[in-house]
Amino acid sequence: MREVYVAGIGITSFTRLEYPLYEIAAYPGLMAMRDSGLKKIDHLYVANMGGGRINDQTGLASAVIDHMSLTPAGAETIENGPASGASAIKQGFMAVASGMHDVVMVIGAERMRAVNPLEATDFVATLSHPLAEYIYGVTLPALAGMFTRLYMEKYGVTSRHLAMVAVKNHKNAMDNFFAHLHEEISIAGILDSPEASTNNPFIAEPLRFYDMCPVSDGGACLILASAEVMKKINKPMIRLAGVGQATDTHAVHERKEPTDLLAVREAARQSMAMAGITPQDVSVAELHDAFTILEIVESEEVGFFKKGEGHLALERGETQIGGKSPINPSGGLKAKGHPVGATGVGQAHEIVLQLRGEAGKRQVKNAKTGFTCNFGGFGNNVVCLTFIKEK
Amino acid sequence: MDRNIYAYKCKRCGELHYPYRTICKKCGENDHNEFDIVPMAKKGKLLTYTVLHNPTADFETATLSLGIVQLDDGLKMMGQLDIKEPKTGMRVTGKVDVIRKTTYDKYYGMIFSKE
Repeated sequence: MREVYVAGIGITSFTRLEYPLYEIAAYPGLMAMRDSGLKKIDHLYVANMGGGRINDQTGLASAVIDHMSLTPAGAETIENGPASGASAIKQGFMAVASGMHDVVMVIGAERMRAVNPLEATDFVATLSHPLAEYIYGVTLPALAGMFTRLYMEKYGVTSRHLAMVAVKNHKNAMDNFFAHLHEEISIAGILDSPEASTNNPFIAEPLRFYDMCPVSDGGACLILASAEVMKKINKPMIRLAGVGQATDTHAVHERKEPTDLLAVREAARQSMAMAGITPQDVSVAELHDAFTILEIVESEEVGFFKKGEGHLALERGETQIGGKSPINPSGGLKAKGHPVGATGVGQAHEIVLQLRGEAGKRQVKNAKTGFTCNFGGFGNNVVCLTFIKEK
Repeated sequence: MDRNIYAYKCKRCGELHYPYRTICKKCGENDHNEFDIVPMAKKGKLLTYTVLHNPTADFETATLSLGIVQLDDGLKMMGQLDIKEPKTGMRVTGKVDVIRKTTYDKYYGMIFSKE
């Protein structure tokens, strides 16, 4: 296999965007081309989950490649639920690593605010089991709520720990221009004050409003290239060193130990093994905190902390910027936003910024190895990526 | 009429499955003809639950209680809860009834209440 590098990156704000879906996709692509200095690509992958269902737009990649006047390069749309983004990066990685292509553009794009929030929630819920889950009215917040209750009872995680994740990620997002939520919150405000029950109501008990990611529009792009192409452009050598993917049962109730996220564990192991690193080598990570509980659990499953001790590390401040294992310096899905198909590419965008040392006020010092976990379904299809900065 | 929800019992190794799958998860050697259809147990223990405060459009209620139940036959299943104050570990008993209505259709599924 050839080595694969990140030649260019681009992103839109994650927020409400009043543009057609193909423009939301094309803009970060344009930014990434300018960033890399490349004018031509060999292939395009576009990650998107809901175009066909909520934007009346199927075959998104064909629309985007023409909108960017990059025809006749090949183009494909990748749909893998909320893990579409990292899945598309994986396809791009394989295309360059195999020698089939030299320059591949990977875009993630989603426009969820085109419909009302309940419809958006219903659209994401269609990834659950149709007969054993969806039909009952199960949504992703509902699955996360049930999961959280088990985790609280088994490991002593409390609402306060969950709020600490939200506070940390909202604080990080204050320094991220592209983040959806620029709103600093405090535990006193969302849990202890007399107004807490109205400004932070239950959504899916025991999860509250501030445990949920927002519904966002947005796009992000990575251009992947071979070592030969990198020699011609003057860009930092950020290598996509490890790719891992694993699956689990579709219906959540079928899992033997319902508090384990085995697909996260396996995908992370594969990704780190391929890159030749251990969890302790990771200097900065973007984890898929669609719900605050997930940041805690993923930090355990990927190996940063022992099972059941993620919330203790959080208490000690180890996951803050400047801590031992900084997690979600971008604000994470919680505050940066969660345009489902774009999220995986957005996570990789942040890691590349961090490794290049271009993350501004939220920069993690001496970041050399970055890791992303893109969580599809309720943990039934997970893609993890490892990036390494080379001299 | 007494409605049931069915589990799929592997003809080769006897492993029970819910929901239906094409290949047995345990012995891995079945094609889809090799399952016996057996009614699922209706009694069990509530493993975990949530009260959803924003159910989607087909549910014209303010809240929707959902839970995962460990059934007495060893299977687990998701169901709706008709229980005022659910507690994990409590005994529940299920009944198959209408769980979701759209303009033209009614869907049946398991609703659990206190045993």
